[in-house]
Amino acid sequence: MAAEPNEPKNRYRRYLEVVTGSLEDKRRYRRYKTRISQLPPDYRTAAEAMERYLLHLGLTDGADMTMYEDLADLFERSAIDETPIRDLFGEDPVEFVEAFVANYPAGQWRNRERNRLTSAIKRAAGEEPAGEDRTE
Amino acid sequence: MGKLVTEMLKGTLEGIVLAILSGRPAYGYEITAWLRDQGFSDIAEGTIYALLVRIEQRGLVDVEKVPSEKGPPRKVYSLNAQGREYLEEFWTTWSFLAGRLEQLREGGK
Repeated sequence: MAAEPNEPKNRYRRYLEVVTGSLEDKRRYRRYKTRISQLPPDYRTAAEAMERYLLHLGLTDGADMTMYEDLADLFERSAIDETPIRDLFGEDPVEFVEAFVANYPAGQWRNRERNRLTSAIKRAAGEEPAGEDRTE
Repeated sequence: MGKLVTEMLKGTLEGIVLAILSGRPAYGYEITAWLRDQGFSDIAEGTIYALLVRIEQRGLVDVEKVPSEKGPPRKVYSLNAQGREYLEEFWTTWSFLAGRLEQLREGGK
């Protein structure tokens, strides 16, 4: 790549990413998927079940690539150390998964509803003039 | 370990892990192993991992990646100044709580 046309490339890339989403994120996500696909079958099944739960419940917006990378780190390490799946997840898989996902930005609708509740209670408690509905 | 202890541990696990790390740096697996040795056998390895991610994000620990014979490098966690401060606060809160609970128990007799 040439040294000088750095700026035009960035602009082009900016336009492109408006349409496609971040290319870097896509690359990171694909890398995550590859790492998961290379796990031993039981670990792969568990990791995929976990991703499904996270995304379908809207616990996360799925845009935080760090989350996927942390997840892949954990499963790769566990597979190599031969940590039994049950030891990894504990008696209640939901508890672990929720503790895990709480570390990353929440999904959009979850955030919206949290803010809605917080401001509704604020108004109901008389701490804010009525009529304002901040949902962001 | 019963259900009760698991519930009670939830709020204190962070302090416990920081206290372990105040002794010496450790990686996730060592921490879980130590907890199991001490009889906390119900703690999921994943839960500890999630906790370590959290205290790292909050800047309570320093992380060093140490190459491992097999697989990805291990993350070794050590308590930093901010973590020590937080741990102090944890112990203060703990003493308060334990004191009040003890009072309740005495009072109930």
